[in-house]
Amino acid sequence: MTILDGIDLSIATGEFVAVLGPSGSGKSTLLALMAGLDRPTSGEILFDGRPIQALSEDDLARLRRAELGFVFQSFQLLGNLTARENVLLPLELLNAPDAGARAEELLAEVGLGDRGHHYPTQLSGGEQQRVALARAFATRPPILLADEPTGNLDGATGRKILEILLGLRERHGTTMVLVTHDPAVAALADRRIHLRDGRIEREERSEGAPLPTAAPLASPLSETAA
Amino acid sequence: MKPRTLFSWMLRESRGALGRFTFFVACLAVGVAAVVAIAGLAAGLDSGIRSEARQLLAADLAIESRRALPETFEIAPLLPAGSRTAEVREMVTMVAAPPRDGKPGRSQLVELKAVERGYPFYGNLTLTPAKPLSDLLAPDAAIVAPELIGYLGLSRGAPGREPILRVGTAEFRIVGEVSTEPDRVGIGTAFGPRVFLSMAGLERAGLIGKGSRVSYKTLIALPAGLPGDRLETIAGRLRDALPANEAYRVETFRQAQPQLRRSFAQVGRFLGLVALLSLFVGGIGVAQSVRAWLAGRLDAIAILKCLGLRPREVLALYLGQTALLGLVGSLIGILLGAGVQAAVPHLFPDLIPATLLRPWQPGALLRGLGLGVGVALLFSLPPLASLLRVPPSRVLRRDAEPLPVHRATAGFAFAALAVGLLGLTFAQTESLLLSAQFVGALALATGLLAVAATLLARSIGRLPRFSSIALRHGLGALARPGAATVGAIVALGLGVITVLTMSLVERRISHELSREVPGNAPSAFLVDIQPAQWPGVQALLTRARAAEIESVPVVMARIRSIDGRPVDQIAAERKEGSGAPPDRREEREGRERREGTENREERGRRWALTREQRLTYLEKLPADNVVVAGKLWSDPNQGEVSLEQSFAEDLGVGLGSKLGFDVQGVPMDLVVTSLRTVDWGTFGINFYLVVEPGLLEDAPQQRVATARLASGSEQHVQDLLAASYPNVTFLRIREILGKILGVLQRIGLGVRFLGGFTVLSGIAILAGAISAGSVRRGREVALLKTLGMTRRQVATAFAVEYALIGGVAGLLGAGAGAALSWGVVTRGFELAWEPEPALLALAVALSIVLSVVAGLAASFRALERRPIEVLRAE
Repeated sequence: MTILDGIDLSIATGEFVAVLGPSGSGKSTLLALMAGLDRPTSGEILFDGRPIQALSEDDLARLRRAELGFVFQSFQLLGNLTARENVLLPLELLNAPDAGARAEELLAEVGLGDRGHHYPTQLSGGEQQRVALARAFATRPPILLADEPTGNLDGATGRKILEILLGLRERHGTTMVLVTHDPAVAALADRRIHLRDGRIEREERSEGAPLPTAAPLASPLSETAA
Repeated sequence: MKPRTLFSWMLRESRGALGRFTFFVACLAVGVAAVVAIAGLAAGLDSGIRSEARQLLAADLAIESRRALPETFEIAPLLPAGSRTAEVREMVTMVAAPPRDGKPGRSQLVELKAVERGYPFYGNLTLTPAKPLSDLLAPDAAIVAPELIGYLGLSRGAPGREPILRVGTAEFRIVGEVSTEPDRVGIGTAFGPRVFLSMAGLERAGLIGKGSRVSYKTLIALPAGLPGDRLETIAGRLRDALPANEAYRVETFRQAQPQLRRSFAQVGRFLGLVALLSLFVGGIGVAQSVRAWLAGRLDAIAILKCLGLRPREVLALYLGQTALLGLVGSLIGILLGAGVQAAVPHLFPDLIPATLLRPWQPGALLRGLGLGVGVALLFSLPPLASLLRVPPSRVLRRDAEPLPVHRATAGFAFAALAVGLLGLTFAQTESLLLSAQFVGALALATGLLAVAATLLARSIGRLPRFSSIALRHGLGALARPGAATVGAIVALGLGVITVLTMSLVERRISHELSREVPGNAPSAFLVDIQPAQWPGVQALLTRARAAEIESVPVVMARIRSIDGRPVDQIAAERKEGSGAPPDRREEREGRERREGTENREERGRRWALTREQRLTYLEKLPADNVVVAGKLWSDPNQGEVSLEQSFAEDLGVGLGSKLGFDVQGVPMDLVVTSLRTVDWGTFGINFYLVVEPGLLEDAPQQRVATARLASGSEQHVQDLLAASYPNVTFLRIREILGKILGVLQRIGLGVRFLGGFTVLSGIAILAGAISAGSVRRGREVALLKTLGMTRRQVATAFAVEYALIGGVAGLLGAGAGAALSWGVVTRGFELAWEPEPALLALAVALSIVLSVVAGLAASFRALERRPIEVLRAE
């Protein structure tokens, strides 16, 4: 079964791109390909002009740890780690100096300065997603990939999370690809990609959004389910 | 990633998993405890023997032999000035109380020891009264083990009125009692109680020179302050000065009882393997725990990979975690094992000479630690290999299941497991062949059990549906795909096999040894009968209504040459053939311990050449002899000898070989004209060497006899014999078999005790499997309860499931145990196998009961949960 077909897409440094589409249109798969979590059956994915689809598992892991941040719909925190330890995780992977201080600082930034010692099960959904945001920005990755980050949250909490997410992106100047169902969320993006049945149905650009200057993530690609 | 980070991640990854890891740790701890207990006891005995070596020899060095030192041998010039020597003679003989009221006194077989002043040079005898041995031992005095006084019905008396003991032809005053002696290790294999005489006393008894088997020992104490290396020089000098054959053994205290240690090491090695089995079975539990643990960690692993952890780092993380858990399990096992090791001498005081045991054995503890961590890592490799294939895209799609493990990776994991197990077994046995056999047999047994368990579970699934809801559910649960029951069945089955096989073999042999001596087989052996005494002895036996009285003459001789070549030369060549220069004895013994059987055979072959041989002469062979080559007394022109077949092989001779004998100073050449097989099981009198009549009649000789006595009359006949023919030794076959049985039962006890650990591992694995499925089980209980099943009904359904697991394991284990014991009994011991349906049924029943108890205990939490708790959590 072909999941993505003939996708030709470039994302510029600093750009905020929203990917929209109904269930099964291939949004998550596109995200997984960009993150090097999956491999295309044909086509190319260029990262800073470098093809990544042929990289080894190890090189992909190194790429993710240094260049990418993630936010997921279901938070994906490690249940046996405290909030603070979850944020520490990517920093420890990079052997970052002052990792502890950085984690505290980020937790404070998302409004959880005093909840660092709590385990995910002791936090509400919104709080868990804030921890996930702190974790995603911990290593100041140049690119953030977000998979429906407000999908599991009620409207008010979702808006709050989105606010924090966009604030952090703004401060860090992060390139962001965000998958969403919600047209209101997508409306905040510089560009919107509409997917249907594995193809790009159309693209929209917000007014005043900067034009792409480079093509760090690009190529006509297709993904076939195994 | 920094090792410190990795370590802290390992600890974090273990959070909240205490319950799950309990079974991992338990499976490992049980096996490690078994290994540590055995290794500790073996090493403790070995080091005890080493550190008490001088006391155990009672001297610095000793010359031991079955014959007196050559008359030409002068010992004094070979020893440094100031050395002391003391002669010791030991023999098994009859003693008796004096006759009373015209009736012979009660008699008893004893181990007689005659010593010279100076004995023991090291160590102490425990004597009552507490006086030096040589002060007590006048030529007419004896010191005896306390129990002998009771056996003979004597009563203790004040000085001047001491009880009298008849030894040989003389009477002795019992002037004291001895309870321990330094050079006798009490492991209960003695022929009888101890009697001490002085050398002059032994002379008075008139036993020497009457054909009795005497062992001669010259104890030597070197002057104090002699440099340590002089000991070996002096031993070497003595060896060189003694005739160059195996008859004289020079032993130094530094060799520390090589034979005793060798026997302990052999038993230790055997039991060590049984202990290792329970550790390996525990390994199955480890693998199962790891697999269950990882199945619940797939999401976490995907997140870690997504955040940039490389596959090998993930592997290192979980491998490290396994090692950490292995360490914890091994440490707990070490504590348990040390406890068992400390308890065994108290629980089984007859089993182990506790005074020799050195309890603190760090080597054994380290061995347990190494084997435990090794087993944990090796058995977790196959499940851990699947980690490499957990797709990180699972963070986006929960349905992304782990990809099948690459064949090469899986192959590597299993190869590493096999090689690793071989290595661990080698570490335990120090024999590659034995290790390969053990691991191979274990793999085969495991494979067969697994296949049988799978097939049984499947065919149970096809059974017609029962009306009982509990039975239906229980059967269904067993047959359900993915029910982690095969591991539990295999482990429990292996435990049942171990315990049952040993029990069956032991029972069969006990039965064989303890039943009435069969048919017309003799019940007593009489040895050391002087030819002139025979008519009298025969008449005595006939009067006592003895049946099947048989007697043959025995002539002692040595083989001097084979086909013209001196045996000393052949023996020396065979020794070189085994590859060790004579002065490297200690090293050679070390290696012999490791290599086991080959060298024992080699020693046996040398011994066949140089030992004192017993010859007899007969016109016709006894019925249990069958000539398999050549023809009996077929050459009228030469003196002929007939050889037992395997003995001829040991000697390296065949039909037509010429054997030169030294018959107590008289040379005699004989030709091998026939080879025989002998059925030793009839307990008849049989000889390796039978000589043609007409050649040995005039040689110095004694007779041996066998007789069948009515049960209960043996003591009376023995008393009569002891009164009239005190030099004749009367051996009761039942008693000798009893001694053999005692040794067998001790080893059997050890095996069953250790086999119990394997069963425990099996139970821990079963409980682990049940606990790993507790989430599913909790949901199941909630659903069943919601649908209206009572708690009792649910518990019954579970009990049926566990009973089936126990039943299947018990049946498979019983079947395999019966098959294995059949092999051991019929092939190893050449006995007829007897089914023991009651024992087999008991094994199955116990297996069922254990499973049900352990299973219900492990499902307690699931059973207690209220349905709403589970359903709400969905």
